[in-house]
Amino acid sequence: MFRYIIKRLLIAVPLVFGVLTLTFFIIRLAPGDPAAFFIQPGISPNVAEQLRQQYGLNDPLPVQYVKWLGNVIHGDFGRSFSRAQQPVFDVIAEALPVTMTIAVLTLVANFVFGIVIGVISAVRQNSFLDRFLTVTGLFFYSMPEFWFALMMIILFALRFPLFPVSGLNEVGAESFGTFGFVMDRIWHLALPVTVLSINGAAGIARYVRGSMLEVIRQDYIRTARAKGLSERTVILKHALRNALLPVVTLMGSSLPFIFSGALFIEVIFAFPGMGRVTVEAIFARDYPLIIADTFVSGVMIVLGNLMSDVLYAVVDPRIKI
Amino acid sequence: MMKSNKSVLPLFSMLLLAVAILVTGCSNPGNRSSGALTAAARDSSLVIGMLGDADYLNPVIGASLTSSEITGLIYPSLLQGEFDTRTGLLNYLALEKRLRSSSGNADEKSPKAALARSWSISPDHRSITYTLRSDARWADGRPVVSRDFSFAYRLYGNPVIASPRQQYLAELVGADKGAVDFDKAIETPNDTTLVFRFFKPVPEHLALFHTSLTPLPEHLWKNVKPEAFRESKLNQQPVGAGPYRLGSWNKQQEVVLSSSASCNLPKPGNIRRIIFRVIPDYTVRLAQLQTGALDLVENVKPEDFKAVRKANPDVDIRTVGLRVYDYVGWMNIDGEHYNKTGKIRPHPLFGDPSVRRALTCAIDRQAIVDGYLGEYGVLCKTDISPSLKWAYDETIKPWAFDTALAVKLLEAAGWFPGPDGIRQKNGRRFSFVLYTNAGNARRNYACVIIQQNLKEIGIDCKIELQESNVFFQNLQERKLDAWMAGWSIGLEIDPLDVWGSDLRKSRFNFPGYINPKIDRLCELAKNKMRPEDARSYWIEYQHILHQDQPITFLYWIRETQGFNKRIQGAKLNISGTFYNIDDWTLKPSVVH
Repeated sequence: MFRYIIKRLLIAVPLVFGVLTLTFFIIRLAPGDPAAFFIQPGISPNVAEQLRQQYGLNDPLPVQYVKWLGNVIHGDFGRSFSRAQQPVFDVIAEALPVTMTIAVLTLVANFVFGIVIGVISAVRQNSFLDRFLTVTGLFFYSMPEFWFALMMIILFALRFPLFPVSGLNEVGAESFGTFGFVMDRIWHLALPVTVLSINGAAGIARYVRGSMLEVIRQDYIRTARAKGLSERTVILKHALRNALLPVVTLMGSSLPFIFSGALFIEVIFAFPGMGRVTVEAIFARDYPLIIADTFVSGVMIVLGNLMSDVLYAVVDPRIKI
Repeated sequence: MMKSNKSVLPLFSMLLLAVAILVTGCSNPGNRSSGALTAAARDSSLVIGMLGDADYLNPVIGASLTSSEITGLIYPSLLQGEFDTRTGLLNYLALEKRLRSSSGNADEKSPKAALARSWSISPDHRSITYTLRSDARWADGRPVVSRDFSFAYRLYGNPVIASPRQQYLAELVGADKGAVDFDKAIETPNDTTLVFRFFKPVPEHLALFHTSLTPLPEHLWKNVKPEAFRESKLNQQPVGAGPYRLGSWNKQQEVVLSSSASCNLPKPGNIRRIIFRVIPDYTVRLAQLQTGALDLVENVKPEDFKAVRKANPDVDIRTVGLRVYDYVGWMNIDGEHYNKTGKIRPHPLFGDPSVRRALTCAIDRQAIVDGYLGEYGVLCKTDISPSLKWAYDETIKPWAFDTALAVKLLEAAGWFPGPDGIRQKNGRRFSFVLYTNAGNARRNYACVIIQQNLKEIGIDCKIELQESNVFFQNLQERKLDAWMAGWSIGLEIDPLDVWGSDLRKSRFNFPGYINPKIDRLCELAKNKMRPEDARSYWIEYQHILHQDQPITFLYWIRETQGFNKRIQGAKLNISGTFYNIDDWTLKPSVVH
C-alpha cells in the first residue's frame, strides 16, 4: 500500500502542474485587465501602465510563462496584485483558519446527522417517520444555500434577534477573556454552520439510507438476527459498518471543501475565508492569487481522491490496492 | 418502546442542537457580560459598514475609497478643504488664511486641523510658499516639518511606487520635460517653510489643491527602498498626526481606529473608537443597520427605505449632493472602423446628433426616475452637476419625453419604418444591443424601460449584461455600440478626459465624441485664474452638450446613506459622507 501511495503522489505532480499551466493561460486569455481598477477618474493615467510594467504583464505570453515557471519551481507563487502585494500564500494563510473552522464543524455535523437520519429512515423504511425525514431532507437539500442563509438571518437575527448577523466576533470581543471570546465565536458560527450542515446532512442521509437498505437485506444480517442478537447490535454493528463503505468515499471528496470554502456563506456572513479570496481574485484578475488558489484546491482534490481510495481499502478488506 | 424512544431522540437532535447553541448563546455568563460591555462600549464606538477592505493605509499608494477615508483620519493635512454648498465651490483654509472669505455657509469647517499657518502665491502664479505651524507632532512625538512634505512628494512622483495621485505633480518644475526636478520644484529653507515652484502660471485654487497632498514622516520611511515601498511593514502600522490612530487591522474583517490622545490638530477625535467593518453583502449590511449593529451604511437603495425605517425608527436616511449620474452611451464614431484604421467616420446609427436627440426624446427619463429613484433622482441635462451652482446653467430645459418629436427627427434624418416595423435607412435596420454591467438593479430597471420606449418608435434594442471587468474593457476599446453606465464627477470641473477630441489621450471618451469647440472652452476655462470667471465658458459648454447629446444623460442620483440617529453633529455634502467625522458625537444610550 505504501508503494501505491507513493506512486499516486508521483503521478499527481504532473497532473497538478498541468492544471496550473492551463489556468495560467486561461486567465490571461480571459478579457479583463489586472490594472483596470486604476483606470478611473481621479487616478493618474500613468498608474495602470506603471503597474502592468511591474507585474510583468507587458512581456509576451511565452516569456511570462517561462518566468512564472522559474519562480514556481522555486516555490515562489508571487505576490497578490489586488491585496496590497502580500505574498499569495500569506493571503491564503490568513483565510484558511476561518474556512477550516467552518468546514470542519460543518463536516462533523454533516456526517453525524446524515448517518443518524439515514439509518433511521432505512430501518423504518416506508413508515411515516421515514417519509417525513425524506421529504424534510429533500426540502432542505433542494434549497439554495444563499437563500436559506438569508432566511435564517431574517428569522434568527432580525425577527428574533438571538444570533449575530455577520462577522466572526462581536465588536470589542477581545476584552471578554478567552472563554468569553470562544463562546462569542461559537455564537457567531451557529447560524452559518447550521445552514451549511442542514443542507449537507440531507444529502448524506440519502446515501446512507440507500446503502443501508441494501445491506439489511443481506443474508448475514438475517444470520445475525437468527443468532438472537439484539436489534441494536444487528443494526449498529453488523449493518451500519458495511453500509458506511460508500460514505467513506464521500469523506475523501469533502477534503477540497475544507480548503476551498463556501462562497455564499462567507459573503453573506462576512467571513474572510477562502471562497471570498478566490472569487475576489477572479473578479480583480489577480493572476498570482488565482493560480495559488487553484494550486491549493488542485492538491486537495488529488489528496482527497487518494484518501478515499486508501480509506476504502482500509475499511473493506476485500479491496486490495 | 425502547426502540421508538431511540428513533425519536435523533430525530429531534438536530433541532436540539440548534436550541442548545441558542440557549448557550443567550445564557452563558461570558455572553451576558459581553452584553453589558457592549452597552458601555457602544457609547464610545461608532461602527461603519463597508463594502470592501482598505488596500493600503498609506496616502501615497492607497487607492480604494475605504483607504482614503481612513487615511484621512490618521494623517494630517496641509490645508482644510471645505465645500460651500451655496456656490458649489471648494475652499481651502490654513490656520490664518482662507482662499475665499467666509460666506456664512452651514458646512463651514474650522481651520484648526490645517498644518499650514498661511500661504502666499507669487504674483506670476509660478510659486507658492507655505508657512507651517511649529507645534504639530507625529504620533511618535517627532515634529512635523517641511521636509516631510518634500520627502513625500518625491514618493508621489516616483514611477516605481506608481502613486495614484501622481498627476497632482503635473505642474511642478520639470514635469513638462518628463520628470519633476524635485531639487528645484520643492524647497524647504527651514522646518516651517515650504515652497513649490511651477513651470507655468497656475490658478491659486489649483495650486492649493495640488500642493496639499498628505505628508509622510520622513524619519520613519527614509530607509524604505521604492521597490519595497508597497510591501513595507510600515504600511500595517501607519504613524500619522491626525485625530485617530490605527488600533488594529484584521484584514477583510475590520479596521479599528482609536482617538489619538496626543493629537493637537486640532484635538483627539470625539468618538473614542471608530470601527470600519467589512461586510460584502448589501442585504446583510442593511440588516445590521436595522438591528443597530452598524451605525452607518452607505448607499442604501431607495426601495429599502420604507422597510428600514419601519424596522428601526432610529435609522435616518441622509443624502449628499448630486455627483453621480447614469447615462446611455451611443457610439458617435464607427468604433470598429476606428480601431482598424485609426480613422474617424460617423457611426451608422448614432453618428448624427439629431438621431441622438431623437433617442433622448424617445426615452421617458422621468418615468425611470419616478419608478425607481423617486425623490432621490433628478433629470440630468449635462455633466455639470446642479450642486456646482457657480457653473450650472439653470436656463437649459431638459429634453422632454416627446415621441412625436423623436419620430420627426428620425424621419428628417432618413430613418423610415421598414416592412417589419423597424426603422431603416439605406437597407440598414435600426437595431442594436444595449450593454450594461451585471448586478445593478437600477440600471436593469432603466434598460427595460428604454427598450420599451425605443420599440414604440420602431427601434429594436436588445439588452445584454456583461461582467463588470469585461464590460469596462469593451468600453475602453470602443467595442460597444450602445451601453448604459454611470459616471461620478470630480469637484473641480475638468472634463477633457471625458470629451477631449484627441481620442488617444481622452481615456474616458468612450463614445468618441469629437467637437473642437469643447476642447477650446475647456482650455479657456482652465486658464482663468479664478474658477468663477470661467462661468460663461461652462454655460456655453452645457449648451453644446445639450444640443449634441453625445450620450443620453439620464438622471443624477442623490446618494443615500443610512445613519443611526445616535450619531450627532454629522454634516454631509458632496465632498463626502465623512466630511467632519472627527467632530461627530454619539448620543449616550438611555438604558445603562
